[in-house]
Amino acid sequence: MLKRLYSTALAACFILPVAAMADDLDGLTPEQLLPLAQKEGSVTVFSLSSRIAKIEKAFEEAYPGIDLIGLDMSSTKQIARVEAEQQAGVNAVDVLYIADTPVVFDKLLEEKRVVNYVPPRIAGELEDRYKAPLLTQRLSTKVLMYNEKAFPDGSPVTNLWQLTTPEWRGRVLMVDPSQRGELLDLLTEISLHPDEMAAAYKAEFGKDIEVEEGLQGAGEQFVKALIENDLIMLPNSDVLNKSIGDVNAKNPPVGFGTYSDRRDNEKEGWALQVANNVEPANGILFPAVLTIADKAPHPAAARLLIDFMFGDDTPTGGPGFEPFNVPGDYAVRKSIADHPDSVKLGELKAWTIDPAKTAAARGRIADLIITLQ
Amino acid sequence: MISTSLSAPSGSRLLRSGFLMPAALVLIVAVLVVAPLVRILLSTLTPEGLDAWVAVLASPLSANLWWRPLLNTMVLGFSVAGGCLLIGGFLAWLVVLTDVPGRRFLGMMASLPYMIPSFAAALAWGTLFRNSRLGGSAGFFETNGLVIPDWLAWGLIPTAIVLIAHYYSLAYTIIAAALSSVGADLVEAGQMAGAKRPRIFFGIILPVVTPALIAAASLTFAGAVANFAAPALLGLPVRMQTLSTRLFGMIETGNNERGFVLALLLIAVSALFLFLSDRLVSGRKAFITVTGKGGRTKRFPLGAWRWPLFSLAVLIGLLTTVIPVLVLAASSLAPQSGALFSNWTLHFWIGEGGGEIAQGQAGIFRNPVLIDALWNTIRLGLVVAFTTMLLGLALAYTIVQRKGTLLATLLSQLAFLPLLVPSIAFAAAYIALFGAPIGPLPSLYGTFALLVIAASAHNLPFAVQSGRSVLGQISADIEESARLTGASLLRRLFAIIFPLAIRGLFAGAILVFVKMVRDLSLVVLLFTATSPVLSMVAYRYASEGFMQFANAITLVILVVCLAASFLAHILQNRVQKWKEQ
Repeated sequence: MLKRLYSTALAACFILPVAAMADDLDGLTPEQLLPLAQKEGSVTVFSLSSRIAKIEKAFEEAYPGIDLIGLDMSSTKQIARVEAEQQAGVNAVDVLYIADTPVVFDKLLEEKRVVNYVPPRIAGELEDRYKAPLLTQRLSTKVLMYNEKAFPDGSPVTNLWQLTTPEWRGRVLMVDPSQRGELLDLLTEISLHPDEMAAAYKAEFGKDIEVEEGLQGAGEQFVKALIENDLIMLPNSDVLNKSIGDVNAKNPPVGFGTYSDRRDNEKEGWALQVANNVEPANGILFPAVLTIADKAPHPAAARLLIDFMFGDDTPTGGPGFEPFNVPGDYAVRKSIADHPDSVKLGELKAWTIDPAKTAAARGRIADLIITLQ
Repeated sequence: MISTSLSAPSGSRLLRSGFLMPAALVLIVAVLVVAPLVRILLSTLTPEGLDAWVAVLASPLSANLWWRPLLNTMVLGFSVAGGCLLIGGFLAWLVVLTDVPGRRFLGMMASLPYMIPSFAAALAWGTLFRNSRLGGSAGFFETNGLVIPDWLAWGLIPTAIVLIAHYYSLAYTIIAAALSSVGADLVEAGQMAGAKRPRIFFGIILPVVTPALIAAASLTFAGAVANFAAPALLGLPVRMQTLSTRLFGMIETGNNERGFVLALLLIAVSALFLFLSDRLVSGRKAFITVTGKGGRTKRFPLGAWRWPLFSLAVLIGLLTTVIPVLVLAASSLAPQSGALFSNWTLHFWIGEGGGEIAQGQAGIFRNPVLIDALWNTIRLGLVVAFTTMLLGLALAYTIVQRKGTLLATLLSQLAFLPLLVPSIAFAAAYIALFGAPIGPLPSLYGTFALLVIAASAHNLPFAVQSGRSVLGQISADIEESARLTGASLLRRLFAIIFPLAIRGLFAGAILVFVKMVRDLSLVVLLFTATSPVLSMVAYRYASEGFMQFANAITLVILVVCLAASFLAHILQNRVQKWKEQ
């Protein structure tokens, strides 16, 4: 009897701390997390980027005894897998490194399939909008790109509305927004800024915009006008970069692409450059987030990994961030310097998307695009 | 246990193998195919799902979301199936039934295109026909002064051509397997009766291989309507959407319910066509050609046509095999993806890394992961091909034995559907269904077994269709005599049916193997080990923008597939020794 009581008490000693742990873990420093994480022994991460392989090496060197299992798959597949696993009661993954935040917001955060965690070590350094609803690690872009060899005097486009004029008919490219979330997010963001789009219209054409019935605001009017001006939709960004950037092209088109693809200019024979001086904005900045799966099997190691992937205090971010530090992508930590070859984050004329607002509005824009195609 | 109940002279008819095996199969198919489908169906019956049904079928969106893509998809499906039957059937006839020179060479070339991913053919088309619509550098023809109109550069016509070039080898593989079982006696009988060559062809050969033609048409039709790469690359620039591009887009932009609704509708439409084609076959008389007597193949002398037809076959092979392989090979050697034929380097294959090229990454053969991935891939491909064929053979056997019955129709319909279910939905359904322990059975999450089960179900159509087309020709006499001497079902399967049908079975196994080795979506969702398979390594490179590495791995996959089909060929000749005498 006494023995049983004793063993129950002993078991309680182990169970109670575990139950109470998840909340407490959020406040721990990396040093405090380490022994707990080492006891857990491993951490599994789904990653949108294959550069997780480099993180694996660096993480295991920095924190011996914790095995990082990295699986790279697209954001869509991560979402499908986490949903299916949790429905089956499987809790196998710890950390998601994922973009497509409007969908993550709808399908994972709202459904409580992931929990937000902000490492205390860097919390003070981040703007509030990067800490909630999900922790942003870095920002990528979908912005207007042009060919700097064909247009040596700078961007041929200075106002988004110019893209709807006959001069640019059939000469604006974009990966099909009904195929790719980021481009849908771009058009959604434009529709969420009706006043600025109306002002830009007036600046370009000298008169007030008339919004058609059934459309909400100047932003949606722009989306319609752009698609009806024979916007060319492409299957992927390879084709886009080749078409816009080809160094030998005469009178090449412009298009919405990824700023950081400029780093391949030399390798690929491109002359891609960002059109920054564009009214009212040249595109969007969208976050890649780090988040913890609900009931993660290795909660301490998961937090340690997220902390690690924000890098150290050096300007490059050290081994934890360096793999992601490319020109045209932006760290949200202020101590990590923007790449010297790229426009500084503060000077880039792009709107930063808010996952919650985008999630609420993008269904309407998606439908609008489908009816116009 | 099945066999004992069989030998009971007048035992309960219900307990005969004739009942037990179909019952077991219905159960297996229900678990493997129906359960995931039902799950997908249920997910469209939620409030959001019902909204999606309305949006797709009865809203201002329907025209662009459903009707126009449906029209494009059907036009594509029928033209590709028709084109594949013509080209694949012609080549199969040439290789199997005539004395055309270089038959083995032609046969090998004809089976290649299916092993090359369809995007390679689409890229090859672009390299030649790309016009100025997208800006950038024009294709070969425009550079040389020929103006290429939009309809030839983009849209339905090039997509159909590219898909025919990809899928005709699937038709070839199935039809050739069936033709090889047309015995010489039939043809000789026709000749003795004074029938002319066209009459022998239309009166004897064509009717005999009709099941194979139907099988080939169904598979190429399904392949074409489910293909994403070709319509995306060639169709989107002129805003041509098919159901598969719409479906992919819906899932990719987080609108899963609409994607599932489209998938279910696509399945319904395709099932209707399949049902009609099934009726077509079961409505006519069956021809039995494999009788156990003289299985020699009779070859037609082509006479003066030998070389012209040989040249035609070689031309088809050149256009559909050599050019895409060349494009792939060149792009694995060229540092700039825009200039495929300049500055070639072997760096992406065997380079040491650390230099200027490819951000210092070493060539694929210096990547320690590659060998691991190679073994994983081969192991997975072999195991899945084996389990799929085993299940497929049992299904095909039952379907053929009970041809015309409701059970056979039902099984053949169900066994065909997985081809049309998007892999991402299929895999997600499998995780949700088998991730949790079911009764005494443990959770299968993360096991190799789950991957094999899901993949077997997903590839079932290939096995069943190719098995059916061959089994349908085997005479019941042989089996009857074996049955009378008391041979058990298993014994009959292995001693009689298996050797006679081996060509068709291997044809199916190769198709499954190829599909498995190339397929990414299913694997990436179900795989939990860190040691990857080849397609995942290729994806990893491609997502980093290193198409050269990715294309090099695609070529490695091609070599693996070729080796597998070569091996199957040798094995098949060993089993069917009588063919060579």
